[in-house]
Order: sequence, then structure tokens, then C-alpha cells
Amino acid sequence: MLMPMPMKHVRLLVLTEDLPQASMALAATESFHPDTRPPTESRLDALPGREYRETFSQAQSRLAKITRLIPLEATPDIGAVRVVDFDELSALNVWLGDLWDETSSYEEDFHRLDDTERLVREQQAALENFTHLNIDLDMLRNKTRFLEFHVGLVPRENLRQLEGAASLAGHILYVYMQQGDHAHVVIVGPAGDKESALAPVLAAASFQTLPIPLELDRKPAELQQDFANQRLAIAEQRQSLQDTLNRWGEPFRAKLLAARHTLMLAEPLVTLDASLRSAGHLAHLAGWVPARAVAHLEQGLRETLTLPFDLTSRDPRPDERKLVPTVPIKSRLLAPFALLVNQYGIPAYGEVDPTPLFAVTFLLMFGMMFGDLGHGAVIALAALWARNKLPKFYLFGVFAGISSMIFGLLFGSVFGYEEILPALWMSPLHDPILMLEVALGWGIGFIVIACLLGIYNRLAIGDPLGAVFERHGLVNLLFYLAFLWGGFGLATTGSFGTLPALLVIGSLLTLAAFQWHHLSAPTGEKALVVAIETLDTVIVYLSNTLSFLRVSAFSLNHVALSLAIFTLAGMMGSFGHVVTVILGNVFILVLEGGIVMIQVMRLQYYEGFSRYFSGDGHAFLPLRLRRESVSS
Amino acid sequence: MSNAAAQAYLNTRVSVMSTRLFAPELIERLPRMTLAELAEHFGLSAILDEQPSAATRGRAIEQSLLQVLMSELQVLARPMNASERSLVLAWGRKYALFNLKTLLRGKLYDLDQQEIRDHLFDLPDTIRLSHQELFRAENALELLRQLETGPYRQIARQAREVYEKHREPFALEGAIDQRYYTGIVRQIMGSDNHHLDSLRRLMGAELDRVALLWLLRFRFTYQLSASETYYQLVPSTRLLTRERLLHLVNLDTFERILEALPAPLDSLLADSKSIGEVQQRIGRYTQLETRGILSRSQSAVARALAYLMLRESDLLMLFAVVRGRLLQFPDATIKAALELTQPSCAESRAA
Repeated sequence: MLMPMPMKHVRLLVLTEDLPQASMALAATESFHPDTRPPTESRLDALPGREYRETFSQAQSRLAKITRLIPLEATPDIGAVRVVDFDELSALNVWLGDLWDETSSYEEDFHRLDDTERLVREQQAALENFTHLNIDLDMLRNKTRFLEFHVGLVPRENLRQLEGAASLAGHILYVYMQQGDHAHVVIVGPAGDKESALAPVLAAASFQTLPIPLELDRKPAELQQDFANQRLAIAEQRQSLQDTLNRWGEPFRAKLLAARHTLMLAEPLVTLDASLRSAGHLAHLAGWVPARAVAHLEQGLRETLTLPFDLTSRDPRPDERKLVPTVPIKSRLLAPFALLVNQYGIPAYGEVDPTPLFAVTFLLMFGMMFGDLGHGAVIALAALWARNKLPKFYLFGVFAGISSMIFGLLFGSVFGYEEILPALWMSPLHDPILMLEVALGWGIGFIVIACLLGIYNRLAIGDPLGAVFERHGLVNLLFYLAFLWGGFGLATTGSFGTLPALLVIGSLLTLAAFQWHHLSAPTGEKALVVAIETLDTVIVYLSNTLSFLRVSAFSLNHVALSLAIFTLAGMMGSFGHVVTVILGNVFILVLEGGIVMIQVMRLQYYEGFSRYFSGDGHAFLPLRLRRESVSS
Repeated sequence: MSNAAAQAYLNTRVSVMSTRLFAPELIERLPRMTLAELAEHFGLSAILDEQPSAATRGRAIEQSLLQVLMSELQVLARPMNASERSLVLAWGRKYALFNLKTLLRGKLYDLDQQEIRDHLFDLPDTIRLSHQELFRAENALELLRQLETGPYRQIARQAREVYEKHREPFALEGAIDQRYYTGIVRQIMGSDNHHLDSLRRLMGAELDRVALLWLLRFRFTYQLSASETYYQLVPSTRLLTRERLLHLVNLDTFERILEALPAPLDSLLADSKSIGEVQQRIGRYTQLETRGILSRSQSAVARALAYLMLRESDLLMLFAVVRGRLLQFPDATIKAALELTQPSCAESRAA
């Protein structure tokens, strides 16, 4: 499970007219990851799928626009698979284009209604504003012998410039209301020749005239009723237009559903476009296929293609390693942990997939740091409760909760109470030194395994020199083990020991010499870099090991926090006691639970992954038939 | 990275990149260079490709020069903080606005889709207009509807009038340019005190140039009224402020406007005989101001923007020479075109 799935590079030569069939066959196997590199043969330089892709994109965009107005409830089942050739796709695109032309006119009608309604609203707001003014509104509607009035809306951002321009044309601009991004203005100026100067300015400023209704001498309530009636009429028109559209669109629904289905079937060839090249009637495509699926792929092509084809496969070359996609581990139980691993990176081809190791070590550390039967049960139940909202992640919470419960049994802790259950092992606070020793041992084991995996990964990609001499390689591991040996001696007998000291010095000198050899810089700079790096190696390994003390520190912290809450609760009355214990437990669950989660992730990413996991791979994304349309 | 460190890094970057600006000797030699020499000196191998037409080759060169500018813009924008980056990107967004104008003109006049596409610049994501739906619009009405729902909804009404009354989209394109410059001014006025003076000086010089040229063209070439001309202008943050422009547009002759200009523009442009001459003189002055900012400003952001403006000017010159050579114009014509090529001229493509 830790080892990557072996992959093959396949190259397929087919006749150009067989491309749609080939794409369907490849999609049906769900094992072909396209390789977009152009072929080495320079004559294969045409792009046979480009026109198909452009037609597809246009058709899909048209369908999306049409279904905005004629919504399709059902998503077509992919059902029987058939080949969509270019002629069929073009015909569909033309039909969708014609249909969109007609549908577009309905959209325009809706748009006009929206505009009219907006104008009525603005008119209503303007007149409400005018009621506070003691002026004859009829004056604003009429052009007098000497004056002309423009009442209307102008975008606020054009206001200042329009004010200057109006003054140049001998007009005065008055803002009587600002609403949204528009200002309501009255422009007054002399009637006559200057009108022609102002008209283009008003047009450029997007000025919109606000008609002043007739019969303004009526009661305000009657005017408001008029506006309400107008808006009601617009709403009726909108409903009527929607009904007309629904009736008009009904006969097209089945055909639109079929169009969606056709586009789903055409998608594989479109996806392949970037990796397709051709010369005359010969088309070339290449990709990555899991080694065990090559035979199945060839059989699929043989059954589908009527014309001859050529399929060759080979192992990936060393220089192609970064291009080979990694097939993810397919396990429902590991899926949530894979999500967290992928936050760091995707395993490069050849690298050990750290997901199973991550899952086990994560749960052990989380459980030890947050061991409590009650809290664990709450976490597990909360995760189960959220399974519909977090279908891909809820198992993570369930496992974390169970781990916490198991360690809760070992520590004898239920919601912080240590007297209810007898500890299967012991309470962390009863022997903190032992807890620290366990955490230290765990950390050493963790770092050694991480180094061994790093060494294996370098060997797997054909870098034996790196496996021995690079950072976190074999020599580095030797230094670490000797350092621990010496440290153990120092702690138990008071002496670091000659052999461990020689090993430490020897391994550090070897690392420094390797680094010196590979650095290209002036001697002074090289000396400085090598000295700092060597010192860094010692500090990093020492601090990383001590970093694991937090595993026990948090288990102690959990007990200490509970004690603090019980002390507080003990100072309250019986009701206060219950409330404090409940709130305290919520506090522990949320705050401490969150912190422990972050600390474990930190240990995994920094102390573990940085030693053995490059994470610079990319995921295997095979060509497949989409089960749901993009536009659905 | 701390602010001081980011400024130091950006300043160093700008200084290193400034060595790419064309030296005076190269500018002198440019109009005499053959296509082969241009291709070798600037790595423009597409010029020598015999297959496509001169127009296609010209477009390919224009696109590749633009890519040079855009990639340098992105390199300079990377170490900046969000507001500084936004200002530099806003300056570069003029090319997205060229695309918008091309698209509007193309759709409003029902031009061939392929032809429209061929004239669109390929831009990086950070510069490209976000409302991609505009590009997918299949007819003018659909485009107008898209326009009305996006950030350019304020010009949509004008666009609709242009479409419905079959008007020349001149005012529409003017409105786009106006929004472009007012947007930049707004960003500058909101910038950090450390950069404010330098940026105001830099963009003020550019806005003085643009405002004066627009004023002269609108008043005397297009014969627009004073109020209409004023409406289309963008007041500068330096010399040609709102009040000055209100005064200048009301003057009725070319000579009176030049006489009424504030110092140092009055002496600089005195006795100019045509708008072309004014363009040359004020262009040189703006370049000097920009170079001054590049070499002396304390603000790394202003220096970066000044570098980009000068670099754009160089690349425009280079493109003018390439296009002249592709169209087999005589050396004298190319030289004359070079003298008119100005930096950051948003109207150069629209006009």
C-alpha cells in the first residue's frame, strides 16, 4: 500500500477519422492520463482536435446561456455510449446558436422590464423627495420661454465633471437626492442655442431623463397609487413573459437534454485536445497508464476501433519521473487522511505514499495528547452527526475520537474525572517523567523511520549518492544515532563515550565535505555556509527530538486543565458547579482539541514530511466520461 | 518581508531592470536598422518568418513585445503590498481596456468573430478584465446586457445609444479612457504618504500631457464645444487642474490656449505651430520628468511605475520601427513616426 502503482508511458497512433472513437475507448477504461508533450517527430505538428474543442466550447456556452432561461430539471444519465463526430457537434452548435438567438430576445425583454421598473422606482423616490419642496412641479416638466429644465439621474462618478461642463454651457446643476450609485439632479439653463451644446454632454454623462408625471395637482396618495399600479403592471408583464417563455421553451426541453448528453459524450475528445497532434491522416496521442491496465486498454481499443492503430508502451525514463502522475491510494478509511497529506503535496512518482503511516502516527499522537473517554466519544459522535455535511472527512473525526477514547481508558479519564474509571495503564500526572520518556522514545522512533523512508525514496528514484550523503541521508542518520548513543551515555554514566564521539565527528565531517564539494561559491562563502549548515544539522536533530516532548506535555496539560476546572467548580454552589464543569469541558474540547490537532499536524509536516516527502508529484487524472454535465 | 526590505528589494530590482531601457545611441540607430538586424538585436525571430502576411507578423511582434512588458510588470508587482500592486496593475490594465474597446467596436459593428479575436491582446490573468462573459457574447445586445451587469455598467447606456442610433463610438471610448485615468488618480490619492508625492508628480506629468492633447484635439480637430470638451477631460493632479481646464476650454484659439498655460508648459510649448509639435514637445518633457522620478525618487513604487512607462515607450518605438519595416516605409517616415511615438498614450490605439 505504501509503494506507488507502477506506470507505463503509452503512445497511440490512430487514423484521424478514428479519433472520436479512440477518445471514447480511452475514456471508457478510465486509466489514461494524457501527456501533453508534443511528439518528437516534428512532422506531427497539426492540432486535429482544436476545431472540435472550439465548437464544443461554443456549444457548451450556448447551452449554458439557454438553460439559464429554460432550466432543465433532469441531468441526463450517460446511458449508452456513442461517438460524437465533428459533423454532429457542428450541427448541434448551429442549432444551439439559432435557439440562443431566439431565446436572447426574451432575455432582452426581461431586461427592458427591469429597466422600466427601475425608472418607476426612481420616479417614485424623486417625487417623494419633491413633496418636501414648496415648488410648482409643472414648471420642471415644461420648457419656459427663457429657461429649460432637465430632471433626471446621473451616475455619481460623472457628477463633478458634468457640473463643470454644464456651467460652461451656461447651466446650473442642482443635486436634490443621492441614491445608490446615482444622483438625482435638476439642470437649469437658458433656453435656446445652448441646448445643443449640453445635449451631447448629457449623453456622454449617461444622463437619464426622469419623466415628471402629468396631473401633478392630484393628491400625493393618488400619485403613489399610480406608481404602485405601474409596478404591478410590470410584474404582470414579467409573469406573462415568463409564461410565454415557458410555453415556447417546453418543446425544446427534450432536445436540450439530448444536447447536454451529446456534449457530455463529446467531452473526452475535447479533454484530449492538448495532447493531440497529427500529420495528414495520422494522429498521435500519448499518456500515462497504470502498468496493469495497459492490456485492458489495448483490448478496449481493439474492440472499438475499426481502422488499424498502433499502441506501444514503455517504462517511464528517469528524466520523466516528475511528469509521471501518481495514482492515489483508494481506501475509504484512508481518504480523509489523504486529504490532509495532499495539503502538503502529492507524492512524486516512485516516492512512498505517506498516507497509511500518517494515519497511524497521527491517531496515536492525537490519542496520547488528548486521551479522554468522554471527550473522545463526543468527537466521534459529532463527526458521525456531521457525516452528511462532511461525507469525505467525517471518518477522520470518528477515528480521532476512538483513539482519544482508547487512550482515555488507558489513562482512566472521563470528561476530566480520574476517579470514575480505573486506569488500564496510569494517569499521566502520576508519573510525568515516564510520560516524557515515552514521548522522547516515540520521537526518536518517528525521526529514524522518517530518515529511513527518505533514504528509500532517494534510492527508488536512482539517487544513491543522495541517499548516503544528502541531508537526512544515511550518514545523517548515522550521526543522529551516534548522537543519541552519546547523549544516553552522558545521561546514564556521565560520559559521552569515545566511539559515539568519533562517529558524530566523522559523520559531520563527511556531511560537511560532501556539501563543500557540491557548493559553487568563493572559498570564504563556502566555509561560512558549510559551518552554518553543519551546526544547523546538530541543532535541528536535537530540537526536533525534543519537539516530541510536547506529546506528553499535552497529555499532562489535559489533566491539569481538568483539575483547574474542577477547582473552579468546587468554589461554586451545586448549580454553578454543574455549569462550570459543562462549560469547562466545552472549553477543553474546542480549544485544547484544536491546539492538539494543530500540534500533531505540525509534528507530521515539519518533523516527518520534511525528511522524506517531497510532495512535488501530480495526481493521476484519467480521461473519463463525465457523469454530470458541467452546465447542469 | 518588512516594508523597508520590500522597498530595498524593489528599488534594486528597478535599478537592475533600468539597464534594459534603450540607450540614446540605440534610439538614434533604431530607424536605420533592417529587419534582420532588429530580429537579431531584440530576439524577434517572428519578423523573419516569411509565411504569414505582414499584418499577421506585425500582430505577433506586438503581442510578444506586450508580453515582455507584462512579464516585467508582474516581476515588479510581486514584492509590492496589495495597494501598491493594485496601482501598478491598474496602470497595466489599459491593455485590457484596448481589448474592451476592440470588442465593443467589433460587436457593435457586427465584425467577424475571428477578426475581433485576432485583434485582442493575450494578457496575464492579473491584468485581464474579470468579466469574461463579455467575450462570450454572440451579438451586440447580449454584449450590452453583459456590460450592464459588470463593472462597466456606467458606460452601458452610452453603448446602447451608440448601437441603437448607429453612432460613432468615439465618446464611448473616451469614457473608457476617462474612467481609466480617474481610477488611477483615485488609487494614487489613497496611497501611502511615502509614495504620494512621487506618484502625484509622475502621474501628474502624464495627466498634464494627456489633458492638453485631448483638449487641443477635441476643441480644434473634432470641433467639440467647450462644455463637451471639458466633460471628456481628466483633471491633472499637477498643472492642468479642474479650474485651469475650465478656463482653458473656454479659449477659442490654439495660440490663446498655449499662452494661457501655466509655467513651465507655457515656455515649453510657446510658438508651437501644430498639435503634432505640441505632442512632440510635451512628450519629451514628460519623458524627462519620468526619468527624473526613476533616477531620483525615494519611492520604489513610483520608480517601478516610471520604469514601466519608459519601457513601454521604448517598446512602442521598437514596434513602430518593426511595423514600418514590414510595410516597407522609407526611413524618413519611420523616423517621423518615432518622434510622435509617445509613452502611455491610451488614446493612441483608439484614435
